[in-house]
Amino acid sequence: MLSRLALSNIKNRLRDYIVLLTGLVMSSAIFYMFANLATNESFIKSNTTFRFAVPVFYFGEVLLVIITLVYVMYANSFLLNMRLHDYGLFMMLGAKKRRVGTLMVFETLVVGAIATAIGLLLGIGLTGGLSKLLFSHLGIALHHFNPFYFKAVLTTIVLYLVLFIIAAIFNLQSLIRTPVLKLLKQNDTVNKIKAHGIGLYFAGIFGVILIGIGYYALAQIATFQLTSIPIALVTIVLGSYLIFHSSMILIIERLKKSNWARRKLNNFTLSQIMFRVQDYTKILTITSLLFALALGAITVGSAFNRQIDSLAKSNSSYTIAINNPTAKEQGLIEQLSDRTVVKYDQKFSGNHVIYNEDQFAQHPYKIVETTQSKSGTMNTYKNVPVSVSKLKKEVSSQFDFVSLGGSVLDTAPKFYATNDFNKINAKKGSVSLITVKSIAENRTVLEKLNHLQLKAYPTMDETGIGAGTFPAFLMISGIYGGLEFIGYFLGIAFLAMLASCLMFKILSGTQQDRIRYNLLTKVGTRRSLLNQSINREIFVLFALPGILGIIDVLFGLQMFKSFFNNNPYQNIQYPIIIFVVLYLLYYFLTTWLYKLIVLPKKK
Amino acid sequence: MINQPIVSVSGLRKTYGGKNEKQYEALKGIDFNVEQGEFVGIMGASGSGKTTLLNMLATLDQPTSGKVMINSQDVTTLKGDKIADFRANEIGFIFQDFNLLETLTAEENIALPLSLQGVKKSAINQAVTAVAETLSIQDLLKKYPTELSGGQKQRVAAARGIVHKPALLLGDEPTGALDSNSARELLELLTDINQKQNVSVLLVTHDPFSASFCNRILFIKDGVIGQEIRRNGVSRTEFYQDILEKLGTFEQ
Ligand SMILES: Nc1ncnc2c1ncn2[C@@H]1O[C@H](COP(=O)(O)OP(=O)(O)O)[C@@H](O)[C@H]1O
Ligand SMILES: [Mg+2]
Repeated sequence: MLSRLALSNIKNRLRDYIVLLTGLVMSSAIFYMFANLATNESFIKSNTTFRFAVPVFYFGEVLLVIITLVYVMYANSFLLNMRLHDYGLFMMLGAKKRRVGTLMVFETLVVGAIATAIGLLLGIGLTGGLSKLLFSHLGIALHHFNPFYFKAVLTTIVLYLVLFIIAAIFNLQSLIRTPVLKLLKQNDTVNKIKAHGIGLYFAGIFGVILIGIGYYALAQIATFQLTSIPIALVTIVLGSYLIFHSSMILIIERLKKSNWARRKLNNFTLSQIMFRVQDYTKILTITSLLFALALGAITVGSAFNRQIDSLAKSNSSYTIAINNPTAKEQGLIEQLSDRTVVKYDQKFSGNHVIYNEDQFAQHPYKIVETTQSKSGTMNTYKNVPVSVSKLKKEVSSQFDFVSLGGSVLDTAPKFYATNDFNKINAKKGSVSLITVKSIAENRTVLEKLNHLQLKAYPTMDETGIGAGTFPAFLMISGIYGGLEFIGYFLGIAFLAMLASCLMFKILSGTQQDRIRYNLLTKVGTRRSLLNQSINREIFVLFALPGILGIIDVLFGLQMFKSFFNNNPYQNIQYPIIIFVVLYLLYYFLTTWLYKLIVLPKKK
Repeated sequence: MINQPIVSVSGLRKTYGGKNEKQYEALKGIDFNVEQGEFVGIMGASGSGKTTLLNMLATLDQPTSGKVMINSQDVTTLKGDKIADFRANEIGFIFQDFNLLETLTAEENIALPLSLQGVKKSAINQAVTAVAETLSIQDLLKKYPTELSGGQKQRVAAARGIVHKPALLLGDEPTGALDSNSARELLELLTDINQKQNVSVLLVTHDPFSASFCNRILFIKDGVIGQEIRRNGVSRTEFYQDILEKLGTFEQ
């Protein structure tokens, strides 16, 4: 009988259940995405560059489990809020607590199982899609990476099973402890705000000091070494908590006294935010930290990308060298955009390579000149043409020149004037030095050329790297691309997770809010005003942790100062933009869902 | 204009249930008027259609057919923002429960209708203070609804219902959740509001005691108005007896 009641309830509250399921599905999908990377040992081990990222994965895993726990708890309280009244009613009608308890555990587990199952499917799809996108964007191929990975599936199932059992026990507890009457009257419990003026100021100031210490510790990571990370973590978490708590209440109380507050629904909106912020301080703090972590991961990841270009440029002045271009290679060269081609004739006598020095006078060879910035670590690379005499002197140290002989590596190549060069009776050849403006634009063609050359002149393969910036680029992006992949992947996963968390927390309050908005409609509030109030309220709840998160990242990047040539902020706007856009999408999704639940149907 | 009724209902019908659902006719043709300054009660057993009728008057629901004129305005044709503005300007409400927003103090709750109309802050404060004085709820103003008793909440709700000087105050069993003392206080308050502020009041109730505070009572049964009695200046206790008598015959 009760289970039939429960089923009919699901039909009546389909909207709420859809929201609940959507959130949980997102959560398990994201967790799977992450687990797919983190549990895939052969993937991590086969990509040498990831090995030092293993601690990052463990750290990420622990963090994600914690977030997921918080998340499931919120989702669960949403479910509980939705059901408590009915459970109270069942008991009033004489159902035994034990019976209702069983029903509730059953419901919680069924919801969990359905969500996990759909989430896994979605997660596999998302992993496939996102990795494909990232691989093509980063131009890398990773071995042993597979969107479907059994161990990850298992991990996800086990984790969610455990979490939902915990949630069910938790629900049972609160059901047993709450008297029936209270279950029926859930709706009128709102905590009063306990604001103590001076105490709030102190808390705020203390929070600022704590955050200051945290940021200082990060900026001075060179002096404090590893200790600065735990220091920063503790101080920043505590500091942001205190700042949120005090500043929001103080600001809102101030605003409430203004004329503005008495206009239209402003006062209502402020009160909503006020009550929320109280209740939300913890989640907002977590969210801002996660935001920082996620954004940090993406920023550092994309900073690796910048490193690739500049590191590659330090290697050579030209993009790729083509020995004795075949007709096919010539055709490929012609496809390159914005290219300059310089061709030098060669003769091979034994292990020596001979060049025509007049050709070098006409088209001087360029070498890479490295200049260090004043502060020391920042390098800039410039290609400067050199005279023949200087080239002769320095040639043995110019690796990219030495390897121009294709299969023949000659550290002491000879230079003759045109007449003498022509007289030499030896095997003839040529090398074309090709420079393109953008490697990224010409990547596929360059890859084909590189491949053909490696096949025709295999010695280059043994040295591991051919001459020119392109082979260097390939090698470095093999290393850094993996890191970048992890950065983006983690960043997006974290963001999705935290935004879903926030979304859920907001949606879990809808049962009470529905009554409020209904009442507002009854006393004659225009729908546009209700919409505006909701938009603003949720915007504040999203914006706060977002802003704090961005500030966290800006300071946090100080940690990587020495690593990224003293300028960790270069191009930071791109990851921030990507991030803000994704975050905004979540905001719109949340307001949409919120309105769907809260606003009375239009007449 | 002066003799125009404040409420004029004619041929009002309401059928619940969509095309593929079971049809249920809750109101089967209702006609009545409420004159300016009247205190009218609508009585009927549970399920007789009282709330349905009140919702039509309050523009909370659309009738299937018929006309509802309030303050010479046909409210059944209103839509969207017009409905909202109409409610905000012309009507005050007191419901049985869920009357107040728990996130706002009593004062802020009372101020809400004026804020919605865009009244200036100073004017709002004046009006709120004035209405709080008439209803003797000055010391409740700074409190949140959770800190108030049921009776106090309904007083605050009544204050919010009249702060913007509506043409009509509607109550749907406002004493339903109150103990008898608080109920009596609230009803005396409504009488006061009706007489001193000259606000027309329409009260829906199933309770003869509440009804005895009205000047005129309409009895509704099975979706039609069956009878009507007037107080004609007799004392409240006498009127109460009359109502009980009428109910005895009417409900049979
Ligand atoms: N939304 C609705 N859908 C279908 N039937 C309804 C709805 N609201 C009320 N009714 C029916 O209309 C009749 C009158 O209801 P109502 O006006 O609430 O009665 P009262 O307030 O006098 O107790 C009842 O039989 C009730 O079941
Ligand atoms: Mg009713």
